[in-house]
Amino acid sequence: MVRKEPRLYYRVFVWSGTLRLFHWTLAFSTFILILTGIYIHYPPITTKWAEFKPQYIMATLRYWHFTAGYFFICALLVRFYLFFAGNRYERPTDFLPINKRNLKSLVYNIKFYLYLTDEHECRMGHTILAGTIYFILFICGLIMGLTGLYLLYPETPMIAKIGHELFGTPQQARLVHYTLNWFFIFFIMVHLYIAIWNDFNAPDAIISGAFSGSKMMPADLECPIEELEKIPFEK
Amino acid sequence: MSEKQYGHEIKTGLSRRSFLKGCAIAAATLGLSPEVVPRMVEAAMSPKRPPVVWLHFQECTGCTEALLRSARPDIATLILDLISLDYHETVMAAAGEQAEQNLHEAINDNAGKFICVVEGAIPTKDGGIYCKIGGKTAMEILDDVAHKSKAVIAIGTCGAFGGVQAAKPNPTGAVGVQDLIKDRPIINVPGCPPNPANFLATVVQILTYGRPPELDELGRPKFAYGRKIHDQCERRSHFDEGRFVEQFGDPGHKKAYCLYKMGCKGPVTYSNCSVERFCNIGAWPVGSGHGCIGCTEPGFWDTMMPIYQHLPGIYIPVGGGIREQAEKMGKFAVGGAAAVIAAHAAAGIGKKIFSIKCSSGEDKKDKDE
Repeated sequence: MVRKEPRLYYRVFVWSGTLRLFHWTLAFSTFILILTGIYIHYPPITTKWAEFKPQYIMATLRYWHFTAGYFFICALLVRFYLFFAGNRYERPTDFLPINKRNLKSLVYNIKFYLYLTDEHECRMGHTILAGTIYFILFICGLIMGLTGLYLLYPETPMIAKIGHELFGTPQQARLVHYTLNWFFIFFIMVHLYIAIWNDFNAPDAIISGAFSGSKMMPADLECPIEELEKIPFEK
Repeated sequence: MSEKQYGHEIKTGLSRRSFLKGCAIAAATLGLSPEVVPRMVEAAMSPKRPPVVWLHFQECTGCTEALLRSARPDIATLILDLISLDYHETVMAAAGEQAEQNLHEAINDNAGKFICVVEGAIPTKDGGIYCKIGGKTAMEILDDVAHKSKAVIAIGTCGAFGGVQAAKPNPTGAVGVQDLIKDRPIINVPGCPPNPANFLATVVQILTYGRPPELDELGRPKFAYGRKIHDQCERRSHFDEGRFVEQFGDPGHKKAYCLYKMGCKGPVTYSNCSVERFCNIGAWPVGSGHGCIGCTEPGFWDTMMPIYQHLPGIYIPVGGGIREQAEKMGKFAVGGAAAVIAAHAAAGIGKKIFSIKCSSGEDKKDKDE
């Protein structure tokens, strides 16, 4: 079944308020964490300024880093909760390549992003490619949270014990914490680009969906939503 | 030892005053109240002094030298008077057969009662042939002595974690005591060298209470290795304020600013260096204008290098094992992502232009027809 543009769309509600809260908390905390983290890793020349006007800059930025870190960890916990308690589009079974249908969809996504096909898959939830990357990001976020807690409270017996078992000495944890930071920078660049690119090339309006929680679905497809997802269309 | 420097102690022996002072210092290092000092003095003066057998394996004798040259000479003397040092290759007068006999007697006469101090790493590769004393390998000697001891104190980073010998690629398969001996209490007193006060305090603790001090995950006494150097550093205020040494010898260095940007490992190193200090003159690395190199942490030759940078180099498996910095790697990844994004966008625009041209061509064709 192939349909031609222009066509009518209806708005379907996909992303729950909790998920959007998670998304924006994670986005803003990651942004602050990266900026302050880069300063903490290698403070640019602030020595002259600090001599001129005492401002407690490293301590302040560290404070922001830790505060943002707590928001980041809370956001991850919320997402973890949604893995089990979220709506069907928010559960891993919907966006990980774990069954035949999802694997097929993954190949389709990759072809779409490589300009090998113009057929966009109208899918209610995450595309499988995005879902897989988000899941990897979630795991990296957990590692960041754990190394961060280990570096912040290395003397708390329980954290010290877990951290030592998982990462070794604080220096090794610090290396993991720093290296993974680049993955987050990398992710943000690609994520923003792909989101904007999708707004140009696909009709779902995913950027406004990040605020409103809705997606645009072709209205002329009189079929169940499960079927709707599978149907490609041509421009 | 010159007579001028140490003559006083050598001639007069240990005075009661300096002996009490030594006990008080040990109590302070352990973080105990002065009330325990009399108990310590009693334990230390008891005729039943614990015999100590001091073993040397793959090491530089720096830990022994640090102990002997401690600027509190009464501590060095106290060590020799406090414990019954039955075997110590650097200090003892005996040599050859006689020395071996001393060791044999010391461990058999005091089996289960003596404290075994191990200085240096133990090679395990090829049957441990890379360190032999009197025809026996280090592994055999340690196995023999440690299993007859009451407790083992691994002094120095080599004895505790393998030290420089265990650094990659570790040609002799060197390991610390804790990797070989499992059924005896092991107290690690790492450092390169460790502060003599920490070793002394550990011995006094065992002497006074009959049990080792509280240990952390790595088997180090918590009284000495329980706090981060960074948290007790005298230059910490400069760190919080954002004032750093940019390079050695610059005005910031002369004003004793924080050495964080010079690769100081204080933020990840546990020791009481900044409090206990060395040589009785308040000297310690950061106080002298050089960053901490993290010598009390396991594997510091691998994880704390390069000395003047925060983070170690990373071996990237591709490209013939080129040693690269984490930072370079990250920048490379981000630069690569930017290039890929640009290429992707350009391909999209290119495709659009191409398809418009094609479709306009088709329109023309339609009209012509």
